[in-house]
Amino acid sequence: MDAHPPNSPPHPRRRSLLKAAGVSSAALLAGIGVPGTAEAAWSGARLRDDPFRLGIASGDPSDDGFELWTRLAPEPLAPDGHGGMPLAPFDVRWEVAEDERFRRVVRRGHALATAELAHSVHPRVRGLRPERLYFYRFRTGRWTSPVGRVRTAPRAGTRPASFTFATASCQAWYHGWFSAHRHLAADAPDVVFFLGDYIYEYAITAANLWREGVTPGEGHDRETVTLAEYRLRYALTKTDPDLQAAHAAAPFVITPDDHEVQNNYADETSAYGIPPEDFRLRRAVAYRALYENAPLPRAALPIGGPDARYQRRLVIGDLATFNVLDTRQHRAPARGSILGTSQERWLLDGLRGSRTTWNVLAQQVAVMHVTDDRVDQWDGFPAARQRLLDTFADPSVTNPVVLTGDTHRATAGDLHADFADPGSPVVGSELITTSIASDGDGADTDPYEPDWTQHPWVKFYSGRRGYTLCRMTPRELTADFRTVPWVQRDAHAPVSTLARFVTEAGRPGLEKVN
Amino acid sequence: MSYLAHPVRGLRASGRIATVDLTWHAAPWMPLVDHFAVYAARGRAPRESEESLLARTLYPHLTHAVLGPRAVTWHYRVVAVMASGARGRAATASATTTASYATGRPLAAVGEFDHKGLEFALSPAGSADYLDTFPDGVDYRQGSSSPGTHWPYLHPGPADGWAGRRRHTFTLRFALDAVPTADPGFALWLTDTHATAPGEAELSLNGTRIDGITFEKGATKGSLEGDATRTGSPLKPSFVELPLPAAAFTTGENVLTLEKTAGSWHAYDAIGVFAPH
Repeated sequence: MDAHPPNSPPHPRRRSLLKAAGVSSAALLAGIGVPGTAEAAWSGARLRDDPFRLGIASGDPSDDGFELWTRLAPEPLAPDGHGGMPLAPFDVRWEVAEDERFRRVVRRGHALATAELAHSVHPRVRGLRPERLYFYRFRTGRWTSPVGRVRTAPRAGTRPASFTFATASCQAWYHGWFSAHRHLAADAPDVVFFLGDYIYEYAITAANLWREGVTPGEGHDRETVTLAEYRLRYALTKTDPDLQAAHAAAPFVITPDDHEVQNNYADETSAYGIPPEDFRLRRAVAYRALYENAPLPRAALPIGGPDARYQRRLVIGDLATFNVLDTRQHRAPARGSILGTSQERWLLDGLRGSRTTWNVLAQQVAVMHVTDDRVDQWDGFPAARQRLLDTFADPSVTNPVVLTGDTHRATAGDLHADFADPGSPVVGSELITTSIASDGDGADTDPYEPDWTQHPWVKFYSGRRGYTLCRMTPRELTADFRTVPWVQRDAHAPVSTLARFVTEAGRPGLEKVN
Repeated sequence: MSYLAHPVRGLRASGRIATVDLTWHAAPWMPLVDHFAVYAARGRAPRESEESLLARTLYPHLTHAVLGPRAVTWHYRVVAVMASGARGRAATASATTTASYATGRPLAAVGEFDHKGLEFALSPAGSADYLDTFPDGVDYRQGSSSPGTHWPYLHPGPADGWAGRRRHTFTLRFALDAVPTADPGFALWLTDTHATAPGEAELSLNGTRIDGITFEKGATKGSLEGDATRTGSPLKPSFVELPLPAAAFTTGENVLTLEKTAGSWHAYDAIGVFAPH
């Protein structure tokens, strides 16, 4: 897999901005894990409590490495957002081994955890072997982190027999427990695609605190606006042990939707009337907090402004290409564009140029037509959707599949070449994963169902919580909609597979399997 | 290792009715500012303490609201708190609010000028019952009507589907023994307005149009809660005050009308007519 898109230009202003910023830029770089800096040899004061209470994570695996992440936070819910850490930087050592007991360590290094980045580190591990299972951990002072597992991707030119992945989205901490993550961790997919709404910005009040048996602590009774408030909301979310287990079990490929910043925003436009000059500040701190709390590549760190790069491409040998999209930062409703000109060209050119068996979009909002008033989804951008469907219909584009989040409903549907003509050919399929916890327990059906199931292309709809587990081979893609019967009461709900769909390579569309 | 921290530059404070507006220059993007801490005190310079902390704001401005109808002087201290936690050099400023007409002798008044609308009918979240309760708008008579029964907390506009998508007129009747010798003041205090469609209204007295009112954008939260003084309240209060020509008044019954002609609702704190200072 290539975590950095091959035709992605470097940020032209990034280096000069870093240079201009002096000490702080060094701290930024050191925190990202640049090897060999003088700071990396420096050791900070002692930590009296376990600093790994927010867990560990890996992300964006390629055929020779992956991102690693942790954030030192002995008091994760400290109201200032710094997790109980002092201003001082801390040296964090990381190790990657071929065995869980770390007898065969194959890579190790240092990263500097600075207060500037909330004492998070993001070392990129390289030089590993493809399609191999590795184990990783961090150390600082006398503390050792839990162990995570991550598999490198198959090398280009090889065709793996199978590849498993899960999709997940929408984890409003206050709406329920994350038992779905516990089951996802047990399923141990090769990769988890997290398709947005990792946190929610809303104030947590008695009215929306449906997760039973908890109190969120200080500082959550207002909408997140400042960097400290976003940091604190991430900490609250990441204290969930099942979410930590999922991160330890598999690498995550994360792309944000709207709630990482504010509900239904578009580019620099707030849906709540915040002036653009203010909203740029809001987006900058929100994206910063996301980076600090996720195993994202360095391009996802906004430097010198409110922009971050989330679009990227991951390649699984000759089996699949995953196009990870950002449908928020570049959307321009007035111009009818949900991806922005540059990202759309990057996507459509990439689809046409791909040589892999499967070509997948990992993105946020529903592509299939539902109703014209769902303007936050691709229904609000019909011309852009048609350009995408036209590309899917191009014979050079093989087996397109769209992975989606956002709706809090598990939904499966076919993508037609022209939604105005239900008799037009099926050119792909869409698998919408339900929420991990958002909207609470949910139900098998709900008042929105007729909007969806009125269409012949919608094959499945459920309002339960859960995730989607997929197994991809050169011949077929199997998707299991995994659901839990409750999330509000506790974290002990069992999981079951509510529906299974298969798409055969070379034959677009979904077939339900009993 | 030390961290850079931006000083706050260009701090200005200006007072208006019940409010002081603070603005300062936006900080450079790097290093990143976490937020600005704004400290405030009356009668003295504030210290950087939790007791004096007025607000934390990401944006280079802050509206210090709900300061009451009297003129008061506030002192401020603003500090940039960086992403690292480092704190920059503070800036200080002071300002005095403008006294409201509501500090004068009331000729007619509905509600208390206290930044709360909880005394009104249907408050704080009963808009769904508006059409059933006030199908013909409001006709309030000073002395015999009461805010809790005869004046709803929300005044809907033509954009409000829940209120029939039409204009709604609120009437305030009050008696005077004599025509005022100087222009009285009209005070309309709102706890909140709609964020994107706060709308417009026509103000008339005894059938004579006095002025058109264009409402400020609020936070669209006042349809659900009515106390702007609550810590952490998302409400965005606004104030409309203007002189009413003495010649427009009459001896005996006077009829003040406020007709919402465009946009969505506004939420009442209080409304009244006051003798000049």
